[in-house]
Amino acid sequence: MAISEDTLFLIYEIIDVIISGLTNGSVYALMAVGLTLVYGVTKAFNFAYGSFFNLGGYFAWILINFVGLVGGYFSIFLAVIPLMFVVGYGLEKTMVAPLRKRDEWEMKVMMLTLGLALFMDNLYAVVFGGRVKSLPPILEGTLEIGNLIFSYQDIMIFFLSITGILLFGWMLNNTRIGMAVQAVAQNPQGAKIVGIPKNRIFAATFAISTAMVGFGGILLSQKYFISPMSGGAIMIKSWVITAFGGMGSIRGGLVAAFIIGMLEAFVGWTFGMSYGMIALFVLLLTTLAIRPQGLMGRG
Amino acid sequence: MKRLTMLATILSVLLLLGPAAMAADTIPVGVPLAMTGAYTGSGDDYYKGIKMAIDEINAAGGLLGKQLEIIRYDSKEFAPEVVMQGADYLCGQKKVASVHAGWAGWGQDVRAYGKYEVPFFADDGSQAAVDVYRENPEQYANIFQLTDVGIEQAKSMFRVLMALPYEYPNKKAVIINTDDSWGVEVGDTLESSFKEKGWKVAKRETVPYGTNEWGAILTRIRRIKPALIHIEIPSAQENITFFRQFIKKPTQSILSLGWGITPREVVENLGEGADGIVGEMPTGLPGPVAPNAAGQAWIDKFVGLYKHQIPAGSWATYTGVMAWANAAKAVGDAYNFKAVNAYLREHGYEGHQGLIKWDKDNVLRAQKAAPVVHYQVQGGELVAIYTDPPTTPYRDSKFIVPRWIK
Amino acid sequence: MSMKRMLTIMTVAYGAMALMPLFVGDIRFIMHILIMCLIWAVVASCWDVIMGFAGIFSFGQVAFFVIGAYASAILAVNFGVPSVLAIVLAGLLTAGMGVLVGLPCLKLAGPYVALVTFGVHMTLMPLLRGDIGKAIGSGGSVGILTIPPVNIFGFTFSSANLVPTFYLALVMTVACSLIIVVVIKSYWGTAFLALKDSEDFAVSLGVSAFKYKLMVFALTSFLTGIVGAFYGHYIGMISTRMLELDLFCTLMVMLVMGGIGHYPGAILGAIITVTANELLSPLGSYRAVTMGALVVILVLALPNGVMGFWNKPESAVQEG
Repeated sequence: MAISEDTLFLIYEIIDVIISGLTNGSVYALMAVGLTLVYGVTKAFNFAYGSFFNLGGYFAWILINFVGLVGGYFSIFLAVIPLMFVVGYGLEKTMVAPLRKRDEWEMKVMMLTLGLALFMDNLYAVVFGGRVKSLPPILEGTLEIGNLIFSYQDIMIFFLSITGILLFGWMLNNTRIGMAVQAVAQNPQGAKIVGIPKNRIFAATFAISTAMVGFGGILLSQKYFISPMSGGAIMIKSWVITAFGGMGSIRGGLVAAFIIGMLEAFVGWTFGMSYGMIALFVLLLTTLAIRPQGLMGRG
Repeated sequence: MKRLTMLATILSVLLLLGPAAMAADTIPVGVPLAMTGAYTGSGDDYYKGIKMAIDEINAAGGLLGKQLEIIRYDSKEFAPEVVMQGADYLCGQKKVASVHAGWAGWGQDVRAYGKYEVPFFADDGSQAAVDVYRENPEQYANIFQLTDVGIEQAKSMFRVLMALPYEYPNKKAVIINTDDSWGVEVGDTLESSFKEKGWKVAKRETVPYGTNEWGAILTRIRRIKPALIHIEIPSAQENITFFRQFIKKPTQSILSLGWGITPREVVENLGEGADGIVGEMPTGLPGPVAPNAAGQAWIDKFVGLYKHQIPAGSWATYTGVMAWANAAKAVGDAYNFKAVNAYLREHGYEGHQGLIKWDKDNVLRAQKAAPVVHYQVQGGELVAIYTDPPTTPYRDSKFIVPRWIK
Repeated sequence: MSMKRMLTIMTVAYGAMALMPLFVGDIRFIMHILIMCLIWAVVASCWDVIMGFAGIFSFGQVAFFVIGAYASAILAVNFGVPSVLAIVLAGLLTAGMGVLVGLPCLKLAGPYVALVTFGVHMTLMPLLRGDIGKAIGSGGSVGILTIPPVNIFGFTFSSANLVPTFYLALVMTVACSLIIVVVIKSYWGTAFLALKDSEDFAVSLGVSAFKYKLMVFALTSFLTGIVGAFYGHYIGMISTRMLELDLFCTLMVMLVMGGIGHYPGAILGAIITVTANELLSPLGSYRAVTMGALVVILVLALPNGVMGFWNKPESAVQEG
């Protein structure tokens, strides 16, 4: 059966859109996993998530422009990720932990992190200027397979995102701290009885999620841009994905990320880019109407 | 209750205190720009031009013997009450002698500043702002626009695109624009211009700011194989990400970024890779080689101060400040607003490129002395290739066929 | 907090405001700030009611404000409806929208409600700017630039005569605040608190979660819609720029400053935040940084905002 040229083009187009969706999806997955982890374990909602994403990017930018790129991106990761971990840990211990003792602390944490986001975003604007910054690409060049083109940068980002998530999953299941985190998430009372230091675990979880989002920030800032004001949009997107997947469910977050990545790509292709946001919320609303806890959230 | 009374008293006192009285020997000038929020980048560029002009005037002895003092106001993201507040603060409270802004509210500013008589200069480039002006030209006589409206700029872009020494392989065009009034004005005008000339607009897409993934759109573009792609997004990052993704497998198309070529990040990030892209800057001074000695001196001074070529708006606001100062000097009193406004309207201003005049809508339409400058990126920098109107190749510049078109 | 105490604080605050024109009546700039204080006070109060009292994490307050503004503007400009009627109708329309938005939120847990209501906010921008918006007269991305001012028996309340407009705003704000106080202190209010503290228990006692949640949405949206409409008629122009995150964050700051769930903290929070914003303006970009830092410090040091001065310090609630 002969395929007409038009149909062939259409197939290529669809494959292109799928690839676009997958690339976006992997990035979203990286962004979402940290947020859903932190919420699932500590029930703390981090409004400043997007600001931390940018923090990773800005740290990398400082290292590249003032210290010089020695050892390539590998050394950047090695330097920034532990730094983000420390920042997250410190922040949790000094700001979030004291709030946990108060009533209505969920709302207070939201307010606190909102203030933090305001502070950080505008601090970036003051320190780094309002204009966008970019990072050099991790790899250059493209790969052509037939009519399809892939950039090595995209492939590397996808690869690193997936690796990051897998590493994270491994850590959750195979390390003491990972198991402790899971225990606290599933049964805080039980964990306490068994003697797991809840406060330290909370801090560690926050720190891990901060490190992950910072990693995402470095990865993405080379493809897109670091702008002091983009934190809000990033936070909203991560938030939508986590809610859609079920807040607290890492697997749900992953699935949600890819579904949303694909949805955006296809809606953009069919209807136009302006409808992406609307489509996203329509999907979210319908899902929540049927399953109020998200795709895979615990009820 | 004691605490509350204390609180109330403190608040009232703080509110009433206000800033210290101004020294009597300075003339305050209002500068409302976006200092925080999404539009900070453009605010920056406009400020450079304004500051350069004010510093020059002060260095030469000031205006009518007094030094000029800049009073800044943060327009943030141009919410209606913020724009209105800016007007009340600068004109009502600080009693400035003139107001110089860049993007100022796209119509909202006319309403806000039109309540006063203080000469007001903005760079809205918006037909909506002109429509508001036309409702009551007498009341809004103090509003002066520094660039032509989006519709006219779009027509200028179209004229130059058609005048390029290049033979389009087909008559298919793709237009992509933002969803705000600027993008829609330009997009609509271009679309109808193309259709009039017998072209087919194979794809017209409206995108929100922040669009960085162009996969779906590029897929379509690669299928259409248009002779011309026009993107109208007045922001750096979307243009940069588009081009990077486009060039991975480019179509044989002329790429026109309109106003979007002017943010410095575009050439700074893409460098020589961007060679071949065309775009425009309204009320511009062609560069890097200026049309005359005075212009060249200005460009050199700007580059010396800010270490980069001129972005959109800097020359326009500089000229605006100079025009105002000139009018104030001629009238003899910076606070005789009616006279200053009338003078500006009647006499215009003799700038670097000749006499510029505001038209009956108080708009600085594209004219020979304040042309729309059309650029092409060559050697990693914006090089002027055309000025319009009238559509003229600029000096001995050459249009280079982009390297991705074989 | 007893009704008497609430009313006393409100009387002092509004009373102080009422006296301001005597001192600064001819300074346009300050009068404008005062009017905005009043408008935001109502919006912040409504947000306090729905979040602090009913415990519903609604993030749609700004969206309802904008809907009210647009509804009234469209009615007045496109259909020639007289301003006062337009404002009331806009309030009712917004209340309807509030119920519509509230319906899906009934079964959702905290952060999900926040997300859905925020979703309304986020989708409002492309909707108003796009074809649907233009079809109903929103003016697309330009907005509506000529809104007739409030006209009562021939007397115009616009930015041309600020002092009368200020008093009109004051009357409106006081009325809205009184409605809120009455609601909080009534059976409704107790029902809200019960639902917030322990929904299952309250339901078992016969408190209909469904009914009360919808009523909260309806009431707060109605009041917010009305002030939104007033805002439009007062400023004379509206645009989708009102939907930018800047405003949203400022409103949240007001709640933090005032103390959530401790009415009338929201009113004080609004006044303080607007004033602080203005005072810090000369700092330019540092203004927002300072505000952010202030919020963080306040949440840590003054968990109940300004109202923390009046309430006994809460005993630490240990998490199990």
